[in-house]
Amino acid sequence: MTKSAIATDNLSKSYGSGVALDALSLAVGIGEVFGLLGHNGAGKTTTVNVLTTLLEPTRGNAEVAGHSVTADAMGVRAAIGYLPENVQFYDNLTLMENLRFFARLSGLRRPDQRIHDVLRILDFEGHDRQRVGTFSKGMRQRVGIAQAILHSPSVLFLDEPTSGLDPEGVRTLRETIVRLNAEFGMTIFMNTHLLSEVTKTCTSIGILRNGKLVHQDTLARTLADFPGEESLEEIYFRLESGHVS
Amino acid sequence: MLTTRRARTAHLLLFVFIGMIIASSIIGWVTNRTVTGVYEKVVADGLTTAPNPFAGVTPLYYLRNAVIYVVLIGSLMAIVLGVQATLRDRKAATTDLVLSRPVGSVSRLLGQLAGLGVVLAASIGISFFVSWVIISVINGAPLGWADTGRVIGFALLSWVLLTTFALLGMLTGLRSKQETTALLVPFVIWSAVAFVLPQIGTAARPVSLLNPVPAVSSTGGYFDIVSMVTGPVSMTEQFKTASSIILQDTAVTGNAAFSILILVGVLAVMMVIVAATPRSRMRSGLNE
Repeated sequence: MTKSAIATDNLSKSYGSGVALDALSLAVGIGEVFGLLGHNGAGKTTTVNVLTTLLEPTRGNAEVAGHSVTADAMGVRAAIGYLPENVQFYDNLTLMENLRFFARLSGLRRPDQRIHDVLRILDFEGHDRQRVGTFSKGMRQRVGIAQAILHSPSVLFLDEPTSGLDPEGVRTLRETIVRLNAEFGMTIFMNTHLLSEVTKTCTSIGILRNGKLVHQDTLARTLADFPGEESLEEIYFRLESGHVS
Repeated sequence: MLTTRRARTAHLLLFVFIGMIIASSIIGWVTNRTVTGVYEKVVADGLTTAPNPFAGVTPLYYLRNAVIYVVLIGSLMAIVLGVQATLRDRKAATTDLVLSRPVGSVSRLLGQLAGLGVVLAASIGISFFVSWVIISVINGAPLGWADTGRVIGFALLSWVLLTTFALLGMLTGLRSKQETTALLVPFVIWSAVAFVLPQIGTAARPVSLLNPVPAVSSTGGYFDIVSMVTGPVSMTEQFKTASSIILQDTAVTGNAAFSILILVGVLAVMMVIVAATPRSRMRSGLNE
């Protein structure tokens, strides 16, 4: 059994009387690419926000890279990289200046060499003096990945990383995710709507419905368990709707 | 700090502020030359034996208008910079990127304040250095150590006032639900502090408004109580008092130490209020 990079135990989050996350217990092994699926409002972003310590859970606990999100938030933050959905950067700064800022926040004192290394990994060299405000959505998303991996995190959280990208951008991002996982052993946790991308990148999946985890397994086992279904999309709709025999 | 430095609004306000401060010295110089020119003609015509009214003024006289420009232009510049600093992060959702790093919310806010403080210090430093040079040129010799010390004192006090207004801008940038409110609220507070509160003090002595001859000062009673309450709150008035005394304006009376204490106290309180902003508030989006 693989050791968990992420483990949650009865993790709950409420906003007033509304329950966004209801006793979530899941485990993501080290080196996995985990896709969290669910309709809008199912609690995917809340899950990521709690796991990245941006939100405090109402009940329960979670450990990320061996650090508790409640007792050792700073430890979690030092160990993770995070790319929120639809994030923007400092548009009037260059790519290099943006990345320097985020690198220093992560504790890198002389980050320039590391930034160049990361830009090389992402095949994104030659833009370092360009202002981020002039970048396309796809380029910005690569800036987002770059800032997230500057400090070599062991766990990378991506919230709807393909949102708003054109097919070319989606493919580039997918290749990047696969490469980061294969070459650097990064555990990747991503929320997504694109089921076709999940089948191409994820090793395991979880499905959330109204804040509750209704399914979690490896992608291979999930597909094998539903031999009558043509695609992950069909399986997803059956699991999400609760019509599982 | 870099984003603030690159912002166009910041550039515009900075140029206006620096321009006004420099203009203050030039206006003083032109006034001196004009009045002295007329005076010399009047003396030559044998129409007066009175001394030149500019004969006894200190070199710092030329900087006195700058007190008003700091209160008017400088404060507005500081508010806009403060609002931009915090509102930008909320609009662009970069707060989430920052707060997912091993950085506390207090460190983040104090870091932003430090950046603003440096930008304001640079603006004030440039303005006052150029003023120092102009005054030295007018004077025909560099300002002495004592006068230079007074210019530095005035600059430091200006920084305290502007940083307080920048903090006010940061606070409304963090707390407001809409961008327009974030700018409007500090402007309203600024106008109340700069114009309404001092008027309350003046209106409490209606005779002084109506009668050009100074009223005999009265002690005690309701008017003084009102003045005692509104006086310290009107920090721009405290700034004017302390700055004028530092610049050796003999027409202004008051306790400079008390005024400086009030200004530094308000700055400290504002710092604590801004630093106490919860993470959830820093991350909150705008209703636009």
